[in-house]
Amino acid sequence: MRRKVSLILLAFAVFFATLSPLLRWYAFPRLVKIPANQYQDMVLEAKDATLLDYGTMKAEKVSKITIVQTLKGNVEASEQIEKTAGRDVVVWDSLSYAQGPDGKMVASIPERYIFDAHTQEPVHAKGEMVDGDAVERQGIEFKWPFLTEKRDYEYFDAQARVTAPIHYKGTQDFRGIEVYYFEQTIDWTKVPFPRTMPVEGITRESVARTGTTRWYTTVRKFWVEPVTGAPVYGEEIHKEELRGGSLLGGREKVTAFAGHAKMREDYVEHTVALVESNRTLVLLMTSYLPWGFLALGILLLSLSLYLEARGRPGDPAPARTTTEPDPVTA
Amino acid sequence: MRALIAAATGLALAFALVLTLTALGTPTGKTSPKPLLTTVPAHP
Repeated sequence: MRRKVSLILLAFAVFFATLSPLLRWYAFPRLVKIPANQYQDMVLEAKDATLLDYGTMKAEKVSKITIVQTLKGNVEASEQIEKTAGRDVVVWDSLSYAQGPDGKMVASIPERYIFDAHTQEPVHAKGEMVDGDAVERQGIEFKWPFLTEKRDYEYFDAQARVTAPIHYKGTQDFRGIEVYYFEQTIDWTKVPFPRTMPVEGITRESVARTGTTRWYTTVRKFWVEPVTGAPVYGEEIHKEELRGGSLLGGREKVTAFAGHAKMREDYVEHTVALVESNRTLVLLMTSYLPWGFLALGILLLSLSLYLEARGRPGDPAPARTTTEPDPVTA
Repeated sequence: MRALIAAATGLALAFALVLTLTALGTPTGKTSPKPLLTTVPAHP
């Protein structure tokens, strides 16, 4: 009986010890991914910002610009792309919608971002775009890969349609969570006018005919939770100028927008709670279960060996010895 | 010999479990009916 129990324990010991590395290095990279149907919104506010009044073509101070950013996973589009890409793909349709203090639209930029659900590497397919312009992204956007490393990443800038490094600037504590701080600076770059302009009757093409050009610079800051790769907080110091052309009435340049956008407090709290919960799930696959199973395997193996040792028959009884002389027969 | 069979059984079960789980994968769900926002939400 003891021997049977010992063998069962041995089987379980091998089972758990094998599960440990399999979970971490086989199941984790295949099972943990961004869900294709994710829906997420985010609100950023730029207080005391500068905004161009297109009626007077003069820059004015405004109390607040609010930017609403929505990401919506398009499951049908991702399934379509997966047929040719041969891997799990996520398609995010996003909209960055900015409005002034009066509630009027300031900017509305749609995007389609296609990427690998596991690694966040960009996937190129028909429909990938920024504001209706076809693009081929390099690098990441919005989110970092799972198990983010302490290094610089390539980050796609949707305004300039360029990829530039986003630098790892150190590890910090953000509301009790260990985060990696990343920063990217995009120097003054000529960028296209948005397709949807804030004033009716003005189009990208009509502005282009005036010879006026749009320039942009930004400093982008992200605090990223490294296990999930999800930013828990973000800020952007964003400036836009219109330069040259007949639209400015002889002026060399005019500020179209200048502001320091920060995540709204209630969204910060919501994001921190969401990331903490997702972090536990990822840690379950990368750390808690693999280490737990390994420990359990070792424990069961030890128990099995112990039972096996105790169950063995003792040393054979010593052979009977006698000092008496053999009887002598007559 | 019995010990070897027990160990092999544990090994095979572990592989079978993980391979089955990864083959099943995770459900993709459906596209959210919620719109891309053009108004400021009151809360998350």
